[in-house]
Amino acid sequence: MEFSKFFNSTIKLNFILIISFSISVNSFILLPNINNSFYVLFHLTFIYLIFYHYHYYLYLVAMVYGILFDILLLNYIGAHIITFLSLLMLYVLLRKYLFRLSSFQIIFIYFITLIILLLIEQFLANQIHNYKFNMSSFLNFFLISLIIFVPTLFLFTKLDK
Amino acid sequence: MAPKFQIKVFQLSRFIKNFTIISVVTLSFLLVFFSKTDYYVLSGIKNLSSSVVIPITRFISAPINIFSNLIDEYNQFRSLKFENKILQEEIIRLKKWQTLAIQNSRENKVLKKLLNATDNNLILVKTASLINRNDTIYSKLINLNAGSEDYIKKNMSVINERGLLGKIIDTTSNNSRVILLTDPNLSISVKSITDGIFSLLSGNGDGKYLVSSFVKENKMPRLGDIVVTSGTAQIFPVDLLVGKVAKVEKNRFFVLPFVDFKNIDYVQIVTSK
Repeated sequence: MEFSKFFNSTIKLNFILIISFSISVNSFILLPNINNSFYVLFHLTFIYLIFYHYHYYLYLVAMVYGILFDILLLNYIGAHIITFLSLLMLYVLLRKYLFRLSSFQIIFIYFITLIILLLIEQFLANQIHNYKFNMSSFLNFFLISLIIFVPTLFLFTKLDK
Repeated sequence: MAPKFQIKVFQLSRFIKNFTIISVVTLSFLLVFFSKTDYYVLSGIKNLSSSVVIPITRFISAPINIFSNLIDEYNQFRSLKFENKILQEEIIRLKKWQTLAIQNSRENKVLKKLLNATDNNLILVKTASLINRNDTIYSKLINLNAGSEDYIKKNMSVINERGLLGKIIDTTSNNSRVILLTDPNLSISVKSITDGIFSLLSGNGDGKYLVSSFVKENKMPRLGDIVVTSGTAQIFPVDLLVGKVAKVEKNRFFVLPFVDFKNIDYVQIVTSK
C-alpha cells in the first residue's frame, strides 16, 4: 500500500520513459521493431506527460533525453532536443485552448502530435545532420503508432486511475 | 504575516520556475549551436553518455537482449541439421582449397623475396568486441570495448575477417564509437580491382548498399567487380576489401559490402604503417 502511494502516476510514467529510452537506443538485430516500438512509446509517454502532468521539470527532462537521443542515435546534438523543447513551449502557448477540448478531440490531437513529432525529427535530422529522409522508416513508425496508440492510452489512463 | 510569507514563497518558486525554463532553453540553444563546432563540450557529453548512460541502458534493456538471444539460439537450433550438411560439403571443398593455398603461399613467399616486397601495410592496434549498437534508428553506429587507453585514436580503420567495417569517430578511455560504412554520413574513397576506377562511396540509408557519390571521369565499374579502399584520402589504409559492385546505373553504382553488418562480434582496429 505504502509502496503504491510512493509511486504516483508521474513517477510511473517517468519509469516508462527511462525503460523505453533504454530499449530504443540499444539495437536488437533480430527484433528491429522492438527498437522502433519503444522509440514510439517514449514519444507517446513524453507527450502524455506534457498533456496531463505538465510541470516545469519537464524542460529538464526534455533537454536530457533530447541530448541523449541526439548523441546516441545521431552523434550530434540537434533534432530531438529542438523537437522536445518546441513541443513543450507550444503546449504552454496553446494550453488554454486545449483545456476547452473534449476528451475525444484531445486524443485525436495527442495522436497527431505524435506523428508530427516523429516527422519533424526526421526532417530536422535531414536538414541539420544530413540524414536521408527515410520514408519506409517513417511509415514503420506510423504503423507502430497506430498499433500501440490505443493500448498505451489505456495503460496510461489505468495508471492515472 | 502569514499571507506575506506565502506571497514570498510563491514568488520564489515562480522565480525558480522561470529561471529553470530560461536556462534550459538557453543552454539547449547553445548546445545545438555549438555542437558541430565546439569539440570539448560535445566530447564531454559523448564521454559521459558512453561511460555512464550506455551501461545503464544496457542493464535496463537486458531482458530484451536475453529474449533476442533466445530467439537467435532457437533459430540456430532449427537450422542445425541443414547447416551441418552444408558444412560437411564445405569441409571437402576447403580441403581441396587448402592444398592449393599451401602451394600458392610457398610460391608467394619465393616471389616476394625475389621482388624484395614488404608483407603488409597494416598495423594492428587492438582487437575489440562489440558493446552495443545504435544502428536501427537514424545513424549506423556501434560501440566497442576498447578506447584511448588501448591506443585507439579517432579516424582509425575498423575491420573484421570479411573486410572494412568503418572508422573510429570518438574515443573515451575504455570505449570507442565506430561509424559503419552503411551510414550516409561516411564517405570512403575506393577503387575497383579490375579497372582501377576511383570513386567515393557512402551509405545508401537502407543499411544494405553503398552508393557512389563521385566517380572519377564518370567511368562506371563492371557488375561484380570487387571494390577496395584506394588510400587516397589517407584515412583508410590502401587495399582493404569493401564490397562487390551489385548494380550499375547511368551516373552511379551500388556496392554490396562484404561485411555482414548484422553479425559483428569481434573487430580489429588497424592503421597504416
